[in-house]
Amino acid sequence: MSVPEIIFDEVSKFYGEVLGVNRVSLRIPPGITSLVGPNGSGKTTLMNLMTGLVHPDRGRITVRGLSPRDPEQMMRVTGYATQYDAAPRGTTGFDFVSTGLLVYGYKPAEARERAWTALERVSLTDAAQRKVAAYSKGMRQRVRLAQALAHDPEVLVLDEPLNGLDPLVRAETIALFREYAAQGRHVILSSHVLQEVDVISDQVILIANGMILAEGEIRSVRDEIQEHPSQFLIRCRDASSVASMLFSQDHITQIKLADDRLGLLVMTRNREEFSKALTQIALGGHSIESVIAADENVDALYEYLIGGGR
Amino acid sequence: MAVYKRGYNRYQGSLTGRLTRLMVLPRFAWQRLLEQRLVIIVMVVSIFWPLACATFIYISNHLELLEGMGNGASKLLEINGTFFVIFMNFQATMAVILASIAGPSLIAPDLANGALPLYLSRPVTRTDYVVARMMVLVGLLSPVTWVPGLLLFVMQSGMAGWAWFSAHWSIAVGLIAGFMAWILLVALVAMACSAYVKWRIIAGALVLGFYFVLAGAATMINAVLRVDWGSVLNPAKAMDQIWRAMLGAEATSGPGAWACAVSMAVVAMLLIAVLERKLRPVEVIS
Repeated sequence: MSVPEIIFDEVSKFYGEVLGVNRVSLRIPPGITSLVGPNGSGKTTLMNLMTGLVHPDRGRITVRGLSPRDPEQMMRVTGYATQYDAAPRGTTGFDFVSTGLLVYGYKPAEARERAWTALERVSLTDAAQRKVAAYSKGMRQRVRLAQALAHDPEVLVLDEPLNGLDPLVRAETIALFREYAAQGRHVILSSHVLQEVDVISDQVILIANGMILAEGEIRSVRDEIQEHPSQFLIRCRDASSVASMLFSQDHITQIKLADDRLGLLVMTRNREEFSKALTQIALGGHSIESVIAADENVDALYEYLIGGGR
Repeated sequence: MAVYKRGYNRYQGSLTGRLTRLMVLPRFAWQRLLEQRLVIIVMVVSIFWPLACATFIYISNHLELLEGMGNGASKLLEINGTFFVIFMNFQATMAVILASIAGPSLIAPDLANGALPLYLSRPVTRTDYVVARMMVLVGLLSPVTWVPGLLLFVMQSGMAGWAWFSAHWSIAVGLIAGFMAWILLVALVAMACSAYVKWRIIAGALVLGFYFVLAGAATMINAVLRVDWGSVLNPAKAMDQIWRAMLGAEATSGPGAWACAVSMAVVAMLLIAVLERKLRPVEVIS
């Protein structure tokens, strides 16, 4: 069975003289994919391209086999939540979502039912009949999400969807994304909260200056970055002697001893050799409580590939 | 982690037609406009002239009410193309005033709120969006333009009989087509102003100013160059000439109906170009 993917094939988009994205080639499988990059890096352009709001100057895009140039077909399988408050003035949350469904072509009764279900999914039924203008920031975020998923899309594209949500709703929303992803749908989101991206993403796309710096599972991307030593946190009882044994290895570049002398931060240029060495130390009778990769996260990838300034 | 399981079904039910979907967009706008007191006041005022015209039609068909005024009265009260052109000119002015009140809130809020991506990420094209917004003004201006005009025509036909109707049916066609052309122009002006100016009062003034500035420019060209073709730039004058040709009324001095029609078409194209440039789902900050 072929996997429905979102495919960017050598896609470039310029807004006059302003670069949107340049020669982007991507194959995004179903699951949760996070777009990560600084402001103006091209994240929103990528989202707009995959939702057909803008069309590429060069290259080709297909979204689960559909062309974004065919809005009749494309828009039925995509749901887009921008970061803007887009509800018409005086509209209630329920009207906002149900009107969107009417535009999709659902009959009024079906639209009402689906709108209610969508509002339930984002825990907004209590405020459904209140005007969107009176909503808090988090509630507006949720109603935007509700209008994006009300028609049960196969591709959810969400610009900063977790901004302004309280911890409980945030957890519920993440669970909702996971449920969508588990059903074989695409959930594409952009976020500046890298720890969150780390937790929820199946894969990440790092973008800067309109170019893709890295894409794939976080671990795979980290493996590709050779110029930065891998970092591991080791918890053990005799940290000093473990440190001295590790330091004799050529691939170890730096070791920092924790203040409590029960932990080490080790930097290595060869993960496999490091693994072997650590196994030898453990077999030699030293008690190793835990080993955690300290830079197998989006935060570290961002730092290595894009640098500061975010 | 790649996910290969497909655990959902696409919607297989029937969908409504394109026009039905399109008509969803203006509904909040109509609701909002009809909540504005000024809009209601102007609409009420717009009924006065049609009522006066209806009275005029009634009297012209009951000349016995004017006994003693002689034959001059019957000539004066003749209902023909000229009568309807006069009616159209007055109602067209009311339409412009109404558009200057209603127009500014058509597009500016969507641009300010970033709502265009929301609309355009549905099965709605930019053209659909413009047509939907235009429908707001068509719906609002119709009750003050072609609807009362057509009612007057029906009233006159009913009173004057089949002979009058068969001789003047083209007036009804011209009346509807002429007002539709005017509504199209007025709507494009209102939307272009709304797309560029987000402050309602300024945008409304700009809508009115558009007609005054063009009329002034036309007068200036005529005066400086000692010509009369400059009037093609004056929308009110140009439309009057077009309507006269459509309704079979006597043309006034100045450029012909075709020249005026071409001029108004060019203005409409320029306004469409303005909208095309401004109505984009993304804003690019260079």
